[in-house]
Amino acid sequence: MGVRYLIATCKPRAPARRRALPAHQRARGLSAALLAALLTLHPLSSKAAESVWTSLQLHGFAAQAAIGTSDNRWFARYDGVSFDFTEVGLNASLRPRPWLLLAGQVLARRAGEMYDGTPAIDFALADVSLLSSPRQRAGLRLGRIKNPLGIYNETRDVPFTHPGIFLPQVVYFDKVRNLVLSTDGAMFYGETDAGLGTLSLNLQGGRAVIDTNVEWAYLGADFPGNLEPDGNSWLAGIWFNSRLERLRLGVSGVSTALRFDPSRHAGFTLGPGTTDILYLILSAQYSAETWTLTSEYAREPLRWKGFGPYFPELRITGEGYYVQGTWRPHPAIELLLDYQEGFADRTDRNGRAYAVASKGLSTASPRFSRIFSAGIRWDINQHWMVRAEYQHHQGAFILSSRENPDPGQLVEHWDLFAVQAVFRF
Amino acid sequence: MPPGRLDAARRQAKRAGLAAVSLLRGLICGLLCALWPPAAAVQDLIVNQDSAHRQVTQNEARLYFTLRLQRWPDGQPVQTFVLPDEDPLHVAFTKNLLGLFPYQLRSAWDRQVFSGTGQAPTRVADESEMIRQVATTPGAVGYARSAPRDPRVRTLEVR
Repeated sequence: MGVRYLIATCKPRAPARRRALPAHQRARGLSAALLAALLTLHPLSSKAAESVWTSLQLHGFAAQAAIGTSDNRWFARYDGVSFDFTEVGLNASLRPRPWLLLAGQVLARRAGEMYDGTPAIDFALADVSLLSSPRQRAGLRLGRIKNPLGIYNETRDVPFTHPGIFLPQVVYFDKVRNLVLSTDGAMFYGETDAGLGTLSLNLQGGRAVIDTNVEWAYLGADFPGNLEPDGNSWLAGIWFNSRLERLRLGVSGVSTALRFDPSRHAGFTLGPGTTDILYLILSAQYSAETWTLTSEYAREPLRWKGFGPYFPELRITGEGYYVQGTWRPHPAIELLLDYQEGFADRTDRNGRAYAVASKGLSTASPRFSRIFSAGIRWDINQHWMVRAEYQHHQGAFILSSRENPDPGQLVEHWDLFAVQAVFRF
Repeated sequence: MPPGRLDAARRQAKRAGLAAVSLLRGLICGLLCALWPPAAAVQDLIVNQDSAHRQVTQNEARLYFTLRLQRWPDGQPVQTFVLPDEDPLHVAFTKNLLGLFPYQLRSAWDRQVFSGTGQAPTRVADESEMIRQVATTPGAVGYARSAPRDPRVRTLEVR
């Protein structure tokens, strides 16, 4: 890791370029093909066509936050109060047949230096129900699918679906959000009634949708060349829901690999290496009438190999967990308390070995984060929600190196205050 | 102070204490009632008259209202109608008939709508609109305070 860090700092910071994402185009093509296939396979009479369109639903949301930090940058391009966190989403769904659901969502996300707000296809899928009975249900999803990882990943960018303005960062990193966000591929899902509740399973395979942030997070900088998925990503999850949905337990994980394709025109870049990533989450949630307790533990074994002499083969296991309590004294008011800890290397939790290896260029703080959060949320009506959150951080593991390129300047103890307004329909 | 008067004083103090406790209890009850309006007493699950079903289990009812079961056993698509989240009838129905809390339903719907894995139930403004919609929509399921008089709507027994 120390060597990796040195390479990253020896080189001037590459401009944050936006790359054309061929994956987006693929998803666009795929959804168009799905719709075309549907229309050719089912030549509809005008009456039937009318009934198909009555099932059309449109939903959307828009959120804007204001964020202030005592030190370090978080969802910010400059020091001071940042308004660089905006999320706008619009989705449509159609049920042309009782067993077929077509759905798509466009998401524009502005997040400091990490995302510039360019609209992207968040999901575009066909859900085919193969079996639907009170005892068992099963089906297939094809297209761009949101990865059902942990409790919140599927709707991580939809503000009112999770407590807190920011998801627990030690499990749901925003600095590498895209790596585990969605897959262009296929998924099988099944659900069966067991005596005590429902048991569900999902298996998914396909190509991970990645972006430049992934390169910043896993290679430490944006090197000349392209980081692409190496083969398919595989994802699996098994979940238990108690009969009245009070208790929810799950294990979910994804195995993926990234290949670096170095630019031939660059004077200096890395070798054509691969990064193997395994990401596992254990989840538990208990929901009572006025309170909910949630805890998740994530482990991420990583392996870098073949990047050349300046970036030797390396194996590291990252880890993170959080415990979160929410209390609703009134149905429209929710109070939040959350504690989380995350480590870049579970064998060097205080980051000291890393700091020594960096020979004074870095402190230990980019290697761990301990975060305490408190927040309040008010659902004013069915369309509007506002919330506020305070966080105290020790460490800088969750920060993006894109926003904080000089690890020598990171401050270990820092505070964050944020407010957010959300509209939905 | 003679022992008799001491007892009387003690009794008086005790009464005052009890009065304070009952006042406090009243205040807490009042506050709770203001925060959570009392639930409507009886609710019925209602379906369109075309439905072939006479009864469902509570588990099945939950599956229809959490949108996880989108077809009736005869293959007809389920059309779910609901009142606004904070409507006392919705709260009572969700808790008493489904055994869930309204926020759990809201979170299940949002998760499906915003991940492309389901469609939201149709929201209606009040009970009379609910009955009208269930009466005129094939495959419809909803709820009412008591069995509606509309002949196009039937109640479904929840076992």
